[in-house]
Amino acid sequence: MTNILLVAKREIRQILAMKSFWLTLLILPVALALGPILAESLGDEDATPVAMIDRSGSGAGEALQQRFAEDDDRNTLRELSRYVQRYDLESADPQAVWTQHDRWYTATDIAAFRTSGGVDGAIAKIDAVRPDGTPEFEADPPLYEFVPAPPALASQSAQGFGAAAQDLFDSDADDAPEIVVLIGEDYPAVPAIGLYSANQPRASFVAAMQETLTGDLRTRLLAERGILAADAAAIQSAVPAISVNTPPPGDGAREALLVRSIVPLALAYILMMSLMLSGSWMLQGSVEERSNKLLESLLACIKPEELMYGKLLGGLSVGLLMIAVWAGCAAVAAYATQGVIADMIRPALEPVSSPGAILTILYFFVAGYIGISMIFVAIGAMVDSMSEAQGYLMPVLLAILLPITFLLQAILAGREGWIVQVLTWVPLWTPFAVLARLGMGIETWVLVGTGALLAATIALELIFLGRLFRASLLATGQKPTLGRMLERLRARPQ
Amino acid sequence: MAVLEVDRLVKRFGDVLAVDDLSFTVREGEIFGFLGGNGAGKTTTLRMVLDIIRPTSGTITVLGGSPDRRQAAAIGFLPEERGLYSGMSAIETIVYFGRLKNMDAGLARSRGMDLLTRFDLADRAKSDIGDMSKGMAQKVQLATALVNDPELLMLDEPFSGLDPVNQGLLENEILRASERGAAVIFSTHVMQHAERLCDRLLLLRKGRKRFEGTLDEARAQLPISLTAVAKSDLSSLRGVARADAGEPAGDGWREWKVALEPGVSPASVLEHCTANGIGLRRWDERRATLHDIFVELVGGEGVQR
Repeated sequence: MTNILLVAKREIRQILAMKSFWLTLLILPVALALGPILAESLGDEDATPVAMIDRSGSGAGEALQQRFAEDDDRNTLRELSRYVQRYDLESADPQAVWTQHDRWYTATDIAAFRTSGGVDGAIAKIDAVRPDGTPEFEADPPLYEFVPAPPALASQSAQGFGAAAQDLFDSDADDAPEIVVLIGEDYPAVPAIGLYSANQPRASFVAAMQETLTGDLRTRLLAERGILAADAAAIQSAVPAISVNTPPPGDGAREALLVRSIVPLALAYILMMSLMLSGSWMLQGSVEERSNKLLESLLACIKPEELMYGKLLGGLSVGLLMIAVWAGCAAVAAYATQGVIADMIRPALEPVSSPGAILTILYFFVAGYIGISMIFVAIGAMVDSMSEAQGYLMPVLLAILLPITFLLQAILAGREGWIVQVLTWVPLWTPFAVLARLGMGIETWVLVGTGALLAATIALELIFLGRLFRASLLATGQKPTLGRMLERLRARPQ
Repeated sequence: MAVLEVDRLVKRFGDVLAVDDLSFTVREGEIFGFLGGNGAGKTTTLRMVLDIIRPTSGTITVLGGSPDRRQAAAIGFLPEERGLYSGMSAIETIVYFGRLKNMDAGLARSRGMDLLTRFDLADRAKSDIGDMSKGMAQKVQLATALVNDPELLMLDEPFSGLDPVNQGLLENEILRASERGAAVIFSTHVMQHAERLCDRLLLLRKGRKRFEGTLDEARAQLPISLTAVAKSDLSSLRGVARADAGEPAGDGWREWKVALEPGVSPASVLEHCTANGIGLRRWDERRATLHDIFVELVGGEGVQR
């Protein structure tokens, strides 16, 4: 055992002395820290500037602007409602529309929201009851901002309007609108509306515009047919009262599944990452021992099995060290951002925090590490150079990584089809599949069955790949052909 | 006391018979030369003694027991193919191998520093192996074999790749180990070192022992050859196995290459010539060298004087 520990310690020291180790160790936390910042900076959160030119004098342009303002307020109300529901802040104003989570907000609700001070009024009331650590509510910016049309465009005749609008879009002027809506002077008699856009407009924009102007046209037609304007407007504004019964944030089946699967998926991903990294370092160490011809000196002092187990233990220790560092970084990030992250982490940790789940994770993690590291160590024992090792490494990496990519996608999509089942039961992918599926829930008998199968496979691996390792150690300069590999797999100690 | 006993050792690799019915014994304090050409079975035998590979049949007794890694604490081994971890310092390398031989880290470090000082490498103790010359790295590797003051020191072609100065250093270390009572086995195909150092020799050919004994016993394997200049034919003399006439030396004198019968001393033949009035102008005795013995018993391939 002492020799195994000595070999493991040397392996660890060798890997820790590599610059590539420290780079990769730090890259993941840095990437995770930079990710949200980059995503925020890359995200287009500015409202799209829209110029409305209404030459009809019919009030249609005004109606359109009101419609978009109403949509923005409805969206704000929905976000506010979800925020209040998530943090149990209904006591801020039990009568307010934003503490009612059971309906699709109507124009009346929006009017009431505006009357009571809009989003600023709501935030003021919420702040009065918001406990420390609960993040502040941040309203999404409006999708569209209505800007005055440049005079040159506003005075442009209908004939040259399209070209003038295009020149404006091409000018890259800071105050140039991205969308121009032209309501002609003959509207509503000639119900032709011009929509000019620098980019493909959102379907929701066109749909809202069509719905508003269609309502306007129909109201006018009803009035023309003798229906009183007020009645016509009432007919147009008649909407069903849609009651909404959705689970609270994080509780929807799909959403809950995603939240519960975050940590298990991260575990599977981290296992894969650390295995690939420490595996390649282990391989590098083995190749160095062969190419530097120091195996015979080692084997005069220790058994081949001790060398192999020492390498596996060293690799496993480095992998666990990396994971501990990454977990530590995550803990620091969670502590530093307390409320926001902690609130998200609590439900995410729920499927992996029971003693049984922790044991399951530890077992499949360690078993996965040993099972796959063993392949790297065996490759290292067979080849004389890193370039030769690459030839064997690539197919192995592809065989491991490609199915795992499909697996992670399937879990994210909430599917547990036959591919996921197969991957769960094939020992090469079992650790990844089981870890990734922990959030979805996995039957106990499957855990026991796959765990036993994995243990049996590792035992066979230790026997057969151990033979390959032992028989290959001193066979320098021999090309490991398939026949020779099979011979070594069968070889007993000589 | 026997440190190593090998009895009727056989090793087969498939159809290849690498070691064939080999028996020998090495005692404490003895320097034992293991001589043979390439593929004679020297390295295979040493690997079996170290339990790196197992014999097909026969027995090996090392330090009173069967070969086992637990005996590594009392064995020092320098392989023919040498190399160390390039990223480790000299002293860390020695300590690592010392620890693998069950040594305490502190003791391994102090003995390692003593060895490095003796090898004139004390100031490079913390240098990485990768930053050292090949000769320096070889001395560090020798230190890894000696750090545990082994009772059995096995050196596989230890002189190959060493410059004359380091060859002298290695010879001194072999003698030093022997003086403190260690049994030293070294394989070589450089006869000069074996002649100078070995108490006993074993000559191997294709895995089979051709000779085991002292250098004198080895020399006795070949008849003594003489070069004489005489007027009369020397082939008829008593004790002479063969006398070949050489170049004429003028005035009726002729050079003769004389081979004596085994066990016949040159002095007795010379005495016979003097007593019987056989005139001699020259009488040169030439005893067989180890090289001659090696060529005769093993074959000349791969041998160096």
